[in-house]
Amino acid sequence: MSPSADSLPAGIEACDCLTPLGDATATATALLAGRRALQLQPVLGAAGGDLVPLALCGTMDETVPPRWLPALRRLVERIPGDRWGTARRPLIVTSSNYGVGSLYAFTRDHDPRHLRHGTPFACVEMLQHEFGWGEQVNVISHACVSAHLGLVQAARLLHAGLADRVLVVTFDFVSPFVAGGFHSLKILNASLPAPYAMRATGSIGLGDGAAFAVLTRDATPLRIEAHALHNEMHHFTGNRPDGAGFDTCAAAIAVTIRGRRVWVKGHGTGTLEAGRLEAEAYARHLPGAPLVSWKGSLGHTLGSCGLVELAVTLAGLRTGRIPGTVGGAAPCCTGSVALEAFAGDGYDGAILTSNAFGGAHAAMLLTHD
Amino acid sequence: MIERYLHFLRVEQPTATETVDEARDRLAAMFPRGALRRMTHLGLLVGSTLDGLALGPDDTVVYASTYAETRALEDFLTSFPEASPLLFQTSIHPSAVQQVLIGRQQPVRCFFPLTGRRRLVEQALLTALIDPARQVVLLGGEERGTWMLDQGMASDRAFAFALSLRMEPAGAIGRVAYAPDGADQETSPCPTLLEFAEALAGRREMHWRGAGGGFTLQWL
Repeated sequence: MSPSADSLPAGIEACDCLTPLGDATATATALLAGRRALQLQPVLGAAGGDLVPLALCGTMDETVPPRWLPALRRLVERIPGDRWGTARRPLIVTSSNYGVGSLYAFTRDHDPRHLRHGTPFACVEMLQHEFGWGEQVNVISHACVSAHLGLVQAARLLHAGLADRVLVVTFDFVSPFVAGGFHSLKILNASLPAPYAMRATGSIGLGDGAAFAVLTRDATPLRIEAHALHNEMHHFTGNRPDGAGFDTCAAAIAVTIRGRRVWVKGHGTGTLEAGRLEAEAYARHLPGAPLVSWKGSLGHTLGSCGLVELAVTLAGLRTGRIPGTVGGAAPCCTGSVALEAFAGDGYDGAILTSNAFGGAHAAMLLTHD
Repeated sequence: MIERYLHFLRVEQPTATETVDEARDRLAAMFPRGALRRMTHLGLLVGSTLDGLALGPDDTVVYASTYAETRALEDFLTSFPEASPLLFQTSIHPSAVQQVLIGRQQPVRCFFPLTGRRRLVEQALLTALIDPARQVVLLGGEERGTWMLDQGMASDRAFAFALSLRMEPAGAIGRVAYAPDGADQETSPCPTLLEFAEALAGRREMHWRGAGGGFTLQWL
């Protein structure tokens, strides 16, 4: 397979996120201060269970209306413009889990009100009604590359001339469904994640996250220039052990750099094998580019991570400082891992990556004036 | 006008009462034995529709399902507090396609798993039509639910389809097209995923308006 990326420049007109640390600016500030949002909490919420690292906006137990709705209301208030969900201003909603926490809640308390938002379509139709969005809504669910895929689709709609602006909205809030699932895979345990660290046992944390971006064909100071995608289809929860999947995606996005000086915001959940393969691939294809992950603080915000972390990146660029790998520790699996914050002014671009089940890889090149 | 030509079509329409075990017996020859026992009903049906279709690593797969892995979802939910790792990974939305392609060890560059309900078919076609790949394989399907069906949150029947969409007209059996005109106000009902599958099986033409344009499914 020849590595190739889609060159689809799109201007970022607006972008923000919501994490347990606050909006994008507050989150970037907290990361620069080395704060961790993750705290050890029972894996099944009120039902108890082992303590695992979770970064939550409130408590994990589902409510009616769903616990993520007030957070989404706050986020959506910041979206500029209107008439989203119409032909020239389509909307893309992405999530890994949508309202599946409500289905879990239904199986516990049998309250039928949970079912109003338990499936992706019901969840999105509720949001359309709540926020006055139109019918032109793309709904994507590709596990933890969902938000990233939404940005690709937005760029494609713009470049096909089918849209003037595209709104991408993403959210994933942790529920016992997903925490219990990752716990059953033994990668959500009592240890706080230390992305890219060489240690005996890997671990991840999970976090609540939501974000939006308005993309446009107009020239803007911040742009997503290109995307690279690859799906290994080797194993449901593992990557090819030779790192070929990471290599294919890293090689494809590296071609788009064209002399820019970049740093890399990696996926870096805290798993050992995937972290090492990712770090090695980017050290090989982008030698000298610092690599950071913020999931040691925010946890893995699942399907929303690609856009949540884009918003945090933009906030970091505004402050002039890029947060380091919070929670990371030496020795790291490559020398490129940046544990401390660094100045952003020496760079004119960044690579942002996401990964998902099935060996899904996504990378984008962000550039700025 | 954006168009692609249909070069391969296969539709799975099992009997309304087919169980996953019956599907496993019926379709056993198509799958590696090790993979077969872990596959869901929807995974088996999607795999069956892909039988005989060559996929390349630079191809794109677009997958449309409103409910996706209903049975794995139902069973995973009832596995708590001892959550099942197998059911967790099988319950994710793109799982049916991943079951098949992991079985084949077939990487692909772009994979767009889509969901939604009212305009899902339109969304899937538009995604396929604007993709730059030489071949876009459009997959869709559902499996029949049990307790979630009782709550109106699952499909009442199982089906699946696969289309190979290419740029070249030579040898094509059909055509899908989207003609944008920016007219936002005029929309007509978008076919449901099941209606689209039935139109494919019956080689019936379809036309509707949505996404600021007109959609056409035409047979050659």
